[in-house]
Amino acid sequence: MKESGAMSSLVTDGSSKALDSTFQQTHGGQLRPYKAAAFHVPSCASPPRLVDAGDVSKVSDVLKQYLFRVGDDGTCLYDPNFLDVCNPPLAPGTTYRFKYVLVESTEGIVKDQTLWSDPIKTRRVKLPLQVDTWPGRRSGAMIVITSILSVLLFLLLAGMLAAVSSAVMRPEGPSAETRCTPQTAQPSDPRPQLGSE
Amino acid sequence: MAKSEDCIHILQGLLVFGNVVIGMCGIALTAECIYFVSDPHGLYPLLEATENDGIYAAAWIGIFVGFALFALSILGIIGIIKSDRTLLLVYIILMLITFAFEMASCITAATHRDFLTPNLFLKQMLERYQKAEPANNNDKWMTEGVTKTWDKLMLQNHCCGVLGPSDWQEYTSAFRSTHNDADFPWPRKCCAMDAQGLPVNLDGCKLGVPGYYNSNGCYDAISGPVNTHAWGVAWFGFAILCWTFCVLLGTMFYWSGIEY
Repeated sequence: MKESGAMSSLVTDGSSKALDSTFQQTHGGQLRPYKAAAFHVPSCASPPRLVDAGDVSKVSDVLKQYLFRVGDDGTCLYDPNFLDVCNPPLAPGTTYRFKYVLVESTEGIVKDQTLWSDPIKTRRVKLPLQVDTWPGRRSGAMIVITSILSVLLFLLLAGMLAAVSSAVMRPEGPSAETRCTPQTAQPSDPRPQLGSE
Repeated sequence: MAKSEDCIHILQGLLVFGNVVIGMCGIALTAECIYFVSDPHGLYPLLEATENDGIYAAAWIGIFVGFALFALSILGIIGIIKSDRTLLLVYIILMLITFAFEMASCITAATHRDFLTPNLFLKQMLERYQKAEPANNNDKWMTEGVTKTWDKLMLQNHCCGVLGPSDWQEYTSAFRSTHNDADFPWPRKCCAMDAQGLPVNLDGCKLGVPGYYNSNGCYDAISGPVNTHAWGVAWFGFAILCWTFCVLLGTMFYWSGIEY
């Protein structure tokens, strides 16, 4: 049953007869409570204890006895002729409350009912499309690497230009003895010099 | 005369030493990049599916650049010892080209590392893990790669999802559309497994009882190897280039001083 001030939260009519409203009749529980499922009364001779649900050796007995999944049946809504009790999935982002009702099966008289449970809100799931994969700011390492390497490459190209231009425009004559200029191992005949004589 | 001779010999010695170091670093770079390209952690399918495998491209370039550095360093040593202008000019030009390629590799590795955020892997995992009906062969290849890689990751690293098992519950996914969330709140591989590869206790895993499912996320197991790969290529390449810069400047100075 959805939270709303102006709707009925009764599960019985005036003479304590259970109202067997289905999901379709109540528009998914918006008008009044709907019946999700019916069970026979189980044997209460030595039931499993709910607190044992945390103990993995006993949990399967607890689940077999007590577990009921609301919204288990995904197909009963699509059959237009289906008028019986339907337990389709709940809507996302909606608050629901639940209760158990003890009904005598011959005449449908409500013998007892629990209180309405605390409100439980279903999740609203997000689509994978909504995940934002923008990487954010550039990391410092990337900026350092890019900038320093660009500067180094520029300096190398500038140095190359300087070396080539100094080689092209060098004045002729023997090298000065104080400069660090290596001599190539050449045969004695002189090669043509650059520049005019 | 003696001072000039000494100066020449010192400069030659320094340049030969510089080239020896470049040669050794070139071999080391090749070896390191071959190691990264061989993908020892098996994470390549994840990067391929996100179309963000730039760090692998950087490692491929690194393999060839490393070998080129080694070959050019030998050329440089010969050129310096013989003081041959032509050899040294060829050396300088080829080294500049190699420098540019290695620069591209470093920048690519560093830049593409920035793209590999947790959200990227999360989106891809949700969209591709156990996707039921792939659209075409390429889609099928990527889906299989992602599914196998995630299964292996979750099994070996005892983790679940990117940030935690709640990833499977906060988002719809291809997995969720074929597996209902009562039986499969998270994939079976997130359960604690015994030696045969079966969940130790399936109910405990489904209910989220501590100890029967993996409660931490796999992002650390992914980002660790990826970071090693990216920084290994980027920073080692950067170090080599800084050293190469000095050696090349020295070689240009030496070359400009060689007489015909």
